[in-house]
Amino acid sequence: VDPKSLPRPLDVDDEPTSILETYPLNCHPRFLRLTTHSIPSSQSLLARWHLPLGAVVHPLAEAPDGEEVPIVNFGPAGVIRCRRCRTYVNPYVTFTDAGRKWRCNLCALLNDVPGEYFCPLDASGRRSDVDHRPELSKGSVEFVAPTEYMVRPPMPPLYFFLIDVSASAVRSGLLEVLAKTIKSCLDELPGFPRTQIGFLTFDSTLHFYIYPSSLTQPQMMVVADLDDIFLPLPDDLLVNLSDSRNVVDAFLDSLPSMFQENTNVESAFGPALKAAFMVMGQLGGKLLVFQSTLPSLGIGRLRLRGDDLRVYGTDKEHTLRIPEDPFYKQMAADFTKNQIAVDIYAFSDKYSDIASLGSLTKYTGGQVYHYPSFQAPIHYEKLRHDLSRDLTRETAWEAVMRIRCGKGVRFTTYHGHFMLRSTDLLALPAVDCDKAFAMQLSLEETMMTTQTVYFQVALLYTSSSGERRIRVHTAAAPVVTDLGEMYRRADTGAIVSLLSRLAIENTLSHKLEDARQLIQLKIVKSLKEYRSLYAVQHRLGGRLIYPESLKLLPLYVLSLCKSIALRGGYADASLDERCAAGHSMMILPVRRMLKLLYPSLLRVDEYLTKAFDEFEASSKQLALTAQSLDSTGLYIFDDGFSFTIWFGRMLPPVVLNDILGADSSFFPDVSKVALCEHDNEASRKLTSILNKLREKDPSGYQLCNVVRQGEQARETSLLLNKLIEDQTAGTSSYLDWILQIYRQSQSS
Amino acid sequence: MADMAGGPPSTADPDGPDAVRMTWNAWPRSKVEASKCVVPLAATVSPVRPHPDLLSLPYPPLRCKPPCLAALSPFCRVDFSAKIWICPFCFSRNHFPPHYSAISESNVPGELYPQYTTVEYSAPTSDAMPPPPPVFLFVIDTCVIDEEMEFLKSAMRRAVGLLPENALVGLLTYGTQVHLHELGFGEMSKIYVFRGTKEMSKDQILDQLGLSGRGPGGYHKPGMPAVANGLHHHQQQQGGSVSRFLLPASDCEYTLNALLDELQTDQWPVESGSRALRCTGVALSVAAGLLGACMPGTGARIIALVGGPCTVGPGMIVSKDLSEPVRSHKDLDKDAAPHFHKAVKFYDNLAKQLVNQGHVLDVFASALDQVGVAEMKVAVERTGGLVVLAESFGHSVFKDSFKRIFEEGEQSLGLSFNGTLEIICSKDIKIQGIIGPCTSLEKKGASCADTVIGQGNTTSWKMCGLDRSTSLTVFFDVAPSDKSQQGIPNPQLYIQFLTNYQNSEGQTRLRVTTITRKWVDSSANTEELVEGFDQETAAVVLARFISLKMEMEEEFDATRWLDRSLIRLCSRFGDYRKDDPSSFIINPNFSIFPQFIFNLRRSQFVQVFNNSPDETAYFRMLLNRESVTNSVVMIQPSLLSYSFSAPPAPALLDVASIAADRILLLDAYFSVVIFHGTTVAQWRNMGYQNQPEHQAFAQLLQAPHDDAQMIIKDRFPVPRLVVCDQHGSQARFLLAKLNPSATYNSAHEMAPGGDIIFTDDVSLQVFCEHLSRLAVQS
Ligand SMILES: [Zn+2]
Ligand SMILES: [Zn+2]
Repeated sequence: VDPKSLPRPLDVDDEPTSILETYPLNCHPRFLRLTTHSIPSSQSLLARWHLPLGAVVHPLAEAPDGEEVPIVNFGPAGVIRCRRCRTYVNPYVTFTDAGRKWRCNLCALLNDVPGEYFCPLDASGRRSDVDHRPELSKGSVEFVAPTEYMVRPPMPPLYFFLIDVSASAVRSGLLEVLAKTIKSCLDELPGFPRTQIGFLTFDSTLHFYIYPSSLTQPQMMVVADLDDIFLPLPDDLLVNLSDSRNVVDAFLDSLPSMFQENTNVESAFGPALKAAFMVMGQLGGKLLVFQSTLPSLGIGRLRLRGDDLRVYGTDKEHTLRIPEDPFYKQMAADFTKNQIAVDIYAFSDKYSDIASLGSLTKYTGGQVYHYPSFQAPIHYEKLRHDLSRDLTRETAWEAVMRIRCGKGVRFTTYHGHFMLRSTDLLALPAVDCDKAFAMQLSLEETMMTTQTVYFQVALLYTSSSGERRIRVHTAAAPVVTDLGEMYRRADTGAIVSLLSRLAIENTLSHKLEDARQLIQLKIVKSLKEYRSLYAVQHRLGGRLIYPESLKLLPLYVLSLCKSIALRGGYADASLDERCAAGHSMMILPVRRMLKLLYPSLLRVDEYLTKAFDEFEASSKQLALTAQSLDSTGLYIFDDGFSFTIWFGRMLPPVVLNDILGADSSFFPDVSKVALCEHDNEASRKLTSILNKLREKDPSGYQLCNVVRQGEQARETSLLLNKLIEDQTAGTSSYLDWILQIYRQSQSS
Repeated sequence: MADMAGGPPSTADPDGPDAVRMTWNAWPRSKVEASKCVVPLAATVSPVRPHPDLLSLPYPPLRCKPPCLAALSPFCRVDFSAKIWICPFCFSRNHFPPHYSAISESNVPGELYPQYTTVEYSAPTSDAMPPPPPVFLFVIDTCVIDEEMEFLKSAMRRAVGLLPENALVGLLTYGTQVHLHELGFGEMSKIYVFRGTKEMSKDQILDQLGLSGRGPGGYHKPGMPAVANGLHHHQQQQGGSVSRFLLPASDCEYTLNALLDELQTDQWPVESGSRALRCTGVALSVAAGLLGACMPGTGARIIALVGGPCTVGPGMIVSKDLSEPVRSHKDLDKDAAPHFHKAVKFYDNLAKQLVNQGHVLDVFASALDQVGVAEMKVAVERTGGLVVLAESFGHSVFKDSFKRIFEEGEQSLGLSFNGTLEIICSKDIKIQGIIGPCTSLEKKGASCADTVIGQGNTTSWKMCGLDRSTSLTVFFDVAPSDKSQQGIPNPQLYIQFLTNYQNSEGQTRLRVTTITRKWVDSSANTEELVEGFDQETAAVVLARFISLKMEMEEEFDATRWLDRSLIRLCSRFGDYRKDDPSSFIINPNFSIFPQFIFNLRRSQFVQVFNNSPDETAYFRMLLNRESVTNSVVMIQPSLLSYSFSAPPAPALLDVASIAADRILLLDAYFSVVIFHGTTVAQWRNMGYQNQPEHQAFAQLLQAPHDDAQMIIKDRFPVPRLVVCDQHGSQARFLLAKLNPSATYNSAHEMAPGGDIIFTDDVSLQVFCEHLSRLAVQS
């Protein structure tokens, strides 16, 4: 087999929009993707599918201009829903009885049309106002919810910052970056003029800040009784941002210098967390935690459980990847109950037990941001971008999400960051456009009797402006009796997204090795099934057979097995990085997931040196193998989270010098170089290319690493190990992998 | 003035340079004889009272060999040729050291001059070790109404302005929680907060403040001026220094004033039907804990400004529930004060900690209701703290007193620190203990008596705080050893008081007072004893003694005890024919003693039910720490009369002294009352004093005011000034103190323009008649 002929996602991955041609009333696949757009009609059919049957939901996915989700206000009629199954009115409901009744597409119940909502039907039985009513003509719509959708008045958006100010946070320059970034975002925090804000800093003690209206400077109140945390004031610990902007500015201005002499190395993180909970409890909101030191004092203190070589490969291995202290899970439950979402920003240069801290984000709809060994000059831009995005992206507050589906099918498991409040209700204290969720379907009955299955995602939330809203995405999928049809309609992106989440969850209860084998087994089984199907139909045994729709699946699974979260063993990734990667993959939308698994590799030296005016964003991606690298070239490797810029050994020194902004011979170690724009053509062009690549996806920011060919360890870890088609220690090359899978699918 | 009512003529300074007064200046030799004296053998000592003739010696004293250690005094026998001195206490022979080699009959050092029985030694000061600065830690109650808060702030601002530049200052405010202000934090105001409900050990407090040296603490700025003297040097280097909280006044005046400007009343809501949550106990614990991080020997005082009762946490005296009243004497009597003993125990422990550290607790209580002075008494008294009780922070009793503690010069209280008193006495004398502002250092010695009064079982006492007026009462017992009865007994007894202390400049001083008195064999003849009786001192000592007994002994009947004692005393020392009251005569040295006892029986010290437990505690603390002269006024107020017909003159403390055309000035120590007779009041109301032709009337009106100001100026706490008219509502402040020679029972005898007192109390005359009758009974 010629490796070159192996399938690769070198063209820009497109969403399966073709579905919209068959089902134009469906919501756009950016909101909802099924692993196969054909629902098997029976359990026996499903059993032969072997791949997960399910969906990836991205309820607040950003839509391009002009495709925004329309907002509908029913006014006095109230939100039109099925009396029995509570499905929201959607384009698939049918009106009968001259428009006085409508039939629910999910449960088939005949509902009355409220007087205010009545509209006569035309000759073909359609309501004449369909085109003017988005809820009857669009798969995605947002309803303004009346008061009965509120258990309390919509809360104002609250951003609460819990900042570790111990010595390491000071040393790394973190406080300065934080203060500057937060300050620069204050004008753009959603929810003006209701937005609330608050700060709590901590080391071995907790520092509350109050902002009395009479003062221009906030006041610091230190609570050091870690065993028995209490609030130093009945109120004033949160302020309305627009009312107290001056004091907040003053606080942020003095934050870095206030602690510049701090030599405290302790972290009373658990007590600080409890304190934050007490402050935020009434309102709920977003808790942003900036953690530089392993929690060392008070409740929730964590030990350096480290990454023990001897544990790997034993059945205790997975315990490293789950929280050690039940405190964190309990806190997460309390946070969710009080509508608080937690984001963890972790910066330590030492072990900081992301496994434990991450559980705070996992159950609250939050996110882990990991900057190991944070150094302000290097990580400044990335942190600034990530934090700004976190603070300014449109956020849905006090949310719950439920996915209904028609008779015969049922969602059984959910995967992502949320708290499952009842069997099918996902509690999301806060959710935003960067969070996607995956779920698995099962069939309830042995035989499906309907032709079509409908799905409806409903996200009930409070908008930053203080309105209660319900975002509803509706989609239909056919029921099929043919396994081949299921394969033809398979969606590799959705499958990989769901498989990744399942695999990562698996690592929390199993060895890495087992988790990898499990996914490998799944694709082997499915290919085997497909092979038998194909062979029977076409009698073409003995050849490698991919269903066209799944041709990239082996590659992505290979990459998944080589991803930080799953790869190798003890030495192949630090435990914290592994856990952070796992947490981050659990929330990724499909497109970012695929980009992470098969990053782009671009050669750009020609653009820098020759007179090409414009760098084409769609310039040719290269296969992820060292064979793609030419030592005369300059390459950008981009996985959506970081760039690696690789300078070939034979790259003309002038280009290198231009880009580094100095004579490269003075930089024996380019690892210390922070790449910035210099006053020359090559540097300007490179900067503009990097910017262009970053602009493609504003949800992340690529940290820039520079490496020269031949720089032993760095080159391996920054690039060579990531060229997933190549064989590296303990892993297969793409070709070997394919052969392996082929062999396994051959054997009985 | 009290003695002017008929006692022996008083000298200008009854205390003399030694500042020692004794109930008996001639001592009976035997235990039996001593007990027949009725009034205990006791001395009142004002250990650091200033005196113009005080001899200051710039070198350390010569001390007798251990264990005696008595200092060289004029009572030592000196053999100038052999260069030997003989100790009057233990009779040891001590060689003079070489630097005394030049002494001779004609060249003796100051401490041997017969008139210098009191001298003060100061070790030469070295420049390398300047005296440590005093520390003032202010503890301010914020559970007060806005008006009181403003008074508090202005008092504090004035205090900040008066603080010595080098004094270290700290600020702690409290209400529901405790706020300790870190004055040395540059960026913004920084406050350490403590829960008000939780009892914490000193270690826990220091841990939380990062001062324990165990964990890394806060954010000491290396660039900050070092405050070396009072503080642990190693702590400064660690950065966990107490200097974050205690800054030189000159460095933090601005910060303090800014903090005072921002200071608000407690922010926690008060439920209806509830008292404010006020955690005085935790606040004082934190304050004491903080001072615990100071170097031992630093003179530090906690100045607590308390605006109400502690209602939460340790030291709580009443629950927050308003339906529960603050305990009264009746409750205490019936053991129906649920929080009392717990609170006293808490303050007792606090006292121990403070004494251990050598620090002082001052309480300035200003409230209409009680704040818990009765419970806090132990901590104030054991540490030698000041106490002031006022109705409001706006009242002059608080305002002017508070200002006084920071004033220098004439008005200075001479606040001193870290005093220890040692008493050495002749062999046959035993020390029972001390009543007054001190704590036993539990240094047992041969001269400790078996029975203990007050702080006993020791020959050494700690006075964390003491000042020019601090006075202690030492109770003695005689216990002649068999040996001393053989041979020729020494006709003199000796007592030496050695007081080591840091004066208000921070310099260490050792004051040595050596006194001698005569032993008398009283079994045959009481004359010498009688000659040596000091009835003022005796009255004061009895007042202190029964106050202690009332606190310590359940159901102690003070009136009955006093009556019996007086009768016993009179029957022993009076001249009379048995069973013939009319024959009863008593020596002039005893003549006003019955009157003292009469007034003591009616005083606030015995009639406690007229006052709250806080007031009683307050009165007693002052009684126990003031000079005899001042204490006598507390027992028996002085009365001056002003009229056209005569120059101002002492008047009998009797209702008969009231006349329509007179002004009376009553000094009852805690209050000073100017009382206008009805005619004087009428004239004044008509404005005669403003008319040039009635200048004499204006002067008459003014004179008592001037005299009152003289009294007020010298007194701490500042007394309450009451200006009233006959038959006015405030007149009760005078009437309550007067002998009811005319009551409604005897109104028909009243002179025109006079007054009567509505009381069933017996008059002095009746009291004395009873006394004569009982004293002569066989
Ligand atoms: Zn329905
Ligand atoms: Zn001696």
